[in-house]
Amino acid sequence: MSTPDLAPLGVAGVGRSGPRISDPRSIPEIVLEAVESALADATCGYDDVDAVVTASVDLFDGLTASNIAVTEVVGAVMRPETRIAGDGLLAAIHAACQLWAGAYETVLVVAHSKPSMAPADLTPWAMDPIHLQPLGASFTACAGLQARVLTLDDPDAEGRWAERAARLSTLAGRPTSPAEVSASSVVASPLRERMRAPLADGAYAAVLSRGEASVLLRGAGHDLCAHSPGDRDLRHWDGLTRAAGRAYAVAGIDDPADAFGCVEPACLYPHEEDLFTAATGTGPDTPVSPTGGLFGGAVPVGAGLSRLVEATRALRAEPSLRRVLAHGTWGPAGQGQALTILEAA
Amino acid sequence: MIRTESIHIPFTYAAGGTSSIFLAALRDEARILATPCPACDTVICPARSSCPACGGPTATPVDVGPAGTLVSWTELADGTTLALVRLDGADTSLVHRLAGGDGTWVAGQRLRARFGESRTGAITDIVGFESENGAGR
Repeated sequence: MSTPDLAPLGVAGVGRSGPRISDPRSIPEIVLEAVESALADATCGYDDVDAVVTASVDLFDGLTASNIAVTEVVGAVMRPETRIAGDGLLAAIHAACQLWAGAYETVLVVAHSKPSMAPADLTPWAMDPIHLQPLGASFTACAGLQARVLTLDDPDAEGRWAERAARLSTLAGRPTSPAEVSASSVVASPLRERMRAPLADGAYAAVLSRGEASVLLRGAGHDLCAHSPGDRDLRHWDGLTRAAGRAYAVAGIDDPADAFGCVEPACLYPHEEDLFTAATGTGPDTPVSPTGGLFGGAVPVGAGLSRLVEATRALRAEPSLRRVLAHGTWGPAGQGQALTILEAA
Repeated sequence: MIRTESIHIPFTYAAGGTSSIFLAALRDEARILATPCPACDTVICPARSSCPACGGPTATPVDVGPAGTLVSWTELADGTTLALVRLDGADTSLVHRLAGGDGTWVAGQRLRARFGESRTGAITDIVGFESENGAGR
């Protein structure tokens, strides 16, 4: 397949609301704050937006269709809106494709969820209802199966993950020691409670355009693997390798080990950072999640877009970073993968 | 203000043709079926109508297991242990539960399916996989 010649897009504005462990506000209120923040950041208004791409999941919102709740606050009344039932970074890539296709000049991307609405783990309902759901499989269980596989040839892995989780939690403002991580309760062995980024309520928004901006979206890719963890080699995130290959080709990156000033993976657990690094080929000296990544609060559905927002802010604050990779993943054991490549203009 | 609601919606999930054959074999004969993929030579367990590796249609189901090898496992907070079991003759792993033993599991360990006495045509007709030696190890 040939590599398309795609012009860089502008990340004109970004905004967020949260993350907060339990936000008492309604979903429209949370989303509105993120949207108004992004529009203000882009110095534009609803009238300047040609189309909207939202990301939300009915199951998580307890509502079909979950975008109904946010239609007004994202400015989608009498305007084209597409809803992605997946990670927010996938919504951003969809918006980018709309812009690359020449359909619009400016597209607003919004992703939200409010997991505090339903304290129970809802992910068993996202599993194959014939072969997996009756067994109690969940995204958490699949993460445990994947982490276990990684420990088989790496006896030091659990200790390293505890250190990584402690470091990320501390960077995110929750000082934690590796001993505290290792002493926390088991959620899906070998994974422990404090190895998991805390779920949080929140919304993220970005204004993408074909105009100029201080931060450019230079490449993007996404990919899916088979659903069941039994059908995959869990030692690798093959889907991310393929997604990265597409994104690197578009962005003209030949050596990912030396290409990024930092990377922003959407890793809910520390073992996923090992998978991310191997799949993307990013170098051992490349800073990873310098502000703690998702350990500052992982908003389901919003997580990948939160990395794009963070990457944009980082490039604006420090253009010498030059180029930042923002990542998103969804589904059991990293079934779905997406990444975007952002550059300082 | 908060409004509280619980959603209880009954669903009927159709297993589909090949998966129904797989489930009927569990129920009626305590056999585990897989489907070979003629295109990529992968033997897929549980039996399904299309190959998860290449997407192509699969061939007539064949028997696999009921013994196999432990690939991965995870103990959950509710006390259950989920596992990936590579059944003899299959190229993919079956997701299922581990049963019995002392909770000590080792990759590569030999396991055997234990079927329930009363079976209904569900993946849970296999109660779980236990060590061929009868203990966890």
